[in-house]
Amino acid sequence: MEHTALLQGIHVKNGKIKTRTLTKATITVRAVIIFLTIFTLIGPFLLKYSTIDWPTAIFYTFDNLKMMFLQPAFNQITFGTAITQIVITLALAFLATILGAFVSFFLAISTAKNLAPASLSNAIIAFNSVIRAVPTVLWVLIFAIVAGLGAVAAVLGMMLHTMAYLTKAYAESFEEIEEGAIEALRASGASWWHIIFHCVLPQSASYLVSWTFLRFETNYGVAIAMGAAAAAGGIGFELFMSSSFYYDLHEVGMITYCALIVAIVLEVIALQIKKRLMTQ
Amino acid sequence: MMSTITLDRPTEQVTSKEASIAAQTVLELRNIEKSYDMKTLIIKDIDLQLKQGEFVSIIGPSGAGKSTLLRCINRMIEPSSGDIIFDGTNITQLSKSALRKQRTKIGMVFQHYNLVSRLTVFENVLHGRFGYKSTLQGILGLYTEEEKMLALSILEKLGMKDHVYKRCDQLSGGQKQRVGIARALVQQPKLLLCDEPIASLDPNSSKVIMDHLKEISQSMGITVLVNLHQVDVALKYSDRIIGLNRGSKLFDDLPKRLSQMDIRNIYGAEVDELIFE
Ligand SMILES: Nc1ncnc2c1ncn2[C@@H]1O[C@H](COP(=O)(O)OP(=O)(O)OP(=O)(O)O)[C@@H](O)[C@H]1O
Ligand SMILES: [Mg+2]
Repeated sequence: MEHTALLQGIHVKNGKIKTRTLTKATITVRAVIIFLTIFTLIGPFLLKYSTIDWPTAIFYTFDNLKMMFLQPAFNQITFGTAITQIVITLALAFLATILGAFVSFFLAISTAKNLAPASLSNAIIAFNSVIRAVPTVLWVLIFAIVAGLGAVAAVLGMMLHTMAYLTKAYAESFEEIEEGAIEALRASGASWWHIIFHCVLPQSASYLVSWTFLRFETNYGVAIAMGAAAAAGGIGFELFMSSSFYYDLHEVGMITYCALIVAIVLEVIALQIKKRLMTQ
Repeated sequence: MMSTITLDRPTEQVTSKEASIAAQTVLELRNIEKSYDMKTLIIKDIDLQLKQGEFVSIIGPSGAGKSTLLRCINRMIEPSSGDIIFDGTNITQLSKSALRKQRTKIGMVFQHYNLVSRLTVFENVLHGRFGYKSTLQGILGLYTEEEKMLALSILEKLGMKDHVYKRCDQLSGGQKQRVGIARALVQQPKLLLCDEPIASLDPNSSKVIMDHLKEISQSMGITVLVNLHQVDVALKYSDRIIGLNRGSKLFDDLPKRLSQMDIRNIYGAEVDELIFE
């Protein structure tokens, strides 16, 4: 009897007490997972394999990989050129990141729920998701219409994507800040900009730096692709030349190694920065 | 340089008419009401007068509306109706920027200190000066030497001088609260609102903080309004006690007039032992 009183308003199914209720969100998540699972399972059966000569395909794949990664060599370009081109790629990524980060900061303080009115916040969020939904390459090609194919279009396109990404990341960092410190400053008559620069910024600085550097790493990768796809120059363009123009897999391998080493160095630096900032 | 700084209220107020001025009303609330949902009143028709230098405690059970009432006073929460007359100005009708000006004269101290934890004690205390600054001055952190001296002298008074350059996340709770008080005092306020300033502190730190608050009301002539959970503390320090229950003021009188019956009314019948634990 006591039981029935206790269980009033509680969901019970097959004699078991449910610890959660089915909401719209959980139903959606489940539907997505089920759909993806089914799709992954039946997908491979829908492809056409008849034209493939399996032994040859496998042999050449490994042969190509061997040429690339076990016998790397510079033929068309020199090591010096490779370094210069990597620096150019880094510069593209750097420019896109810095410009994007600058704009993002201002967009993020107008997006964070604890700093901005909901209407403005939602408008920027919607605007940003549209930007993010279009791939970087497409943005670059769109900018290429006015700027011409090349570095300018590449930087603009990458910047736009960076902006949309960092705005979200920054805004979330701002929302993490304890409401109390902001409340205290508001109560003392501080203006909104005072609060931004003397409370929001110092409290979230380490996150901002860490997000920005993460995006820089990503942009480095994107800049390589843009070098090839949008003729933005840099190591990506050399990679494109040696793979599609000279069919020189040895050089493709060598360039890949160079790009990879730089990526690893960036990763290590990012880790160091993060460690410094977090322990500080 | 020190001579230019006065921690106490400007001398013009301590003149021959001392008696009448000592009784000067700093804050008056008239029929303040607050509802969050347009249905239930969280604050019901509160009238209240605070005099200069008075130390007043608000007691009441959890959810009585103590924090809400306190935040209505500086309009951190917008009251639904009623008038707030602070320092001769009706602040219920003020524009945003005029309200900002008035807020500089109302210091606020919080249960969880609400400091910017990654900045130093000194920086946090100086934040209390933003209300006096233009946007650009404030952003650039351009504090005058007088302001820095004022901050230092307040920190010294609160026994925090040795920690000026420490980051606030390295302080104990009691120390953080003293920084919180210093930040409020550097505003040179007429009124100090304290929302459960000792609720997160041990008894020793609590005593230090309460002693400082009492001292502030007595020697600087600043009116102090404190939300408290501990009836014994309220009895010990207050000039006047206000009892709040479900948004209504049930008691407003001297501590010695607070009877067992009153406490029972304020807190509900089941908490007799509250005062004698
Ligand atoms: N932002 C809000 N929206 C809706 N209701 C609120 C809000 N803030 C407070 N309340 C309600 O108002 C009532 C009074 O809250 P308040 O925080 O003022 O109480 P309190 O006396 O300070 O309690 P405590 O001693 O626990 O701090 C509570 O019932 C609370 O649920
Ligand atoms: Mg409260």
